[in-house]
Order: sequence, then C-alpha cells, then structure tokens
Amino acid sequence: MTGMRAYYISRALLSVGFGVLFVLGGASWWVGILIAAVAFGWFLLAPRIGRYSVHPERGVTALQRDERSQMINDKAARNAFVICMLAVAGVALYHHSLALSSVPTAVLEGILVLGAAVYYISDFLLRRASS
Amino acid sequence: MRLRNDLKQARLKRNLTQETLASMVGVTRQTIIAIEKEKFVPSVKLALELSQALDMPIGKIFRLESDQGGTS
Repeated sequence: MTGMRAYYISRALLSVGFGVLFVLGGASWWVGILIAAVAFGWFLLAPRIGRYSVHPERGVTALQRDERSQMINDKAARNAFVICMLAVAGVALYHHSLALSSVPTAVLEGILVLGAAVYYISDFLLRRASS
Repeated sequence: MRLRNDLKQARLKRNLTQETLASMVGVTRQTIIAIEKEKFVPSVKLALELSQALDMPIGKIFRLESDQGGTS
C-alpha cells in the first residue's frame, strides 16, 4: 500500500483520540491504550479486507465504499432503522396499555443495541449472499 | 428478464486478474467476483466502465435473457 501515508497518519491520530476520549471518560490509561491499539489495528486492516476500494490519491479519505458495498450498507441501515422503529412502537404501545407514564431509559438503550446488532448481522448476511 | 454476463471470459481474454480489473474501474475484487457470479447487478456506469476497461462493446459482456432462456 504505497502512497497511503496521509491515511495512516490521520487514522493513528484518530485512534489516539479514541483512547484519550475513553481515559477522559473515566477509563484507566491501559484501557485507553487498548482501545487506541484496537482502533488502529482495524484501520491497518481496513484497506486489505476487500470491504473498501482503495484510492491512495484521495489522501485521508483513501478508502471508499464501491457501489456494492454502498448498496449493502444502505440495506443494512434500512433494516436496522425499521427494526428500531418497530421496537420503539411496540414498547410504547406496551407501556401505554399498562398505563405507565414513561418508557425506561434502559429499554431504549436495549433498542439501540438491537439496532446495532441488526445492522451488523444484515451487513454480514448481505455480503455473504452477494459474493 | 435477467441480466447475464460474460465478464469472466472477457477478463481472461485480456489476461487480467480480478484484482487488476477491480483497480482499473475503482471497485473491490469482491465486487468483480459478485458480478462474475451474477450475484450483483452493476449500475449502468460500472457496466460501461467495465466495457471500456476491457475494450469491448457493452453488449458483448452483458445481455438480457428472458426467464425462458432466450436472449435479447
């Protein structure tokens, strides 16, 4: 991967930023270092896994989704959005039927986690189906 | 109607690897694999870029086939 210096430098800075953010958020310094290392590891791997087309001439935005990746990303995001909306509607109706005043925050956090899971599972399955 | 293609044959005729063809048209190798296996239908733009990269008319690479098997 020649000519990718701008990409790697920017991602190294971003990884350090992630680590610092965790430390400032109350995590211990070694968790910060671990987060930064994992993030940078992902950024090192990203140009090689075939998920993105590589355009070194674009500098810091050297990795781009091609049209197949973009289509998969759009479908996965749509699936996650629909599931989240249905879950929110279901939870709201359930709480309304029980005459409860509000939906607990923990339930909404759970729905966000569900949305993220649907996104990544959809992404994985769609990639498998079209390769 | 179904879109069929002879991308693999056209690519091999030019002695190009999937990786090379992918970098010529700015997509990933996985996308070339998916098109060759007819699991992904490329956009008109990508189909034209592929025909340009392979120096072949688009009709020689992609064709429509009816569900009964006839081409058009």
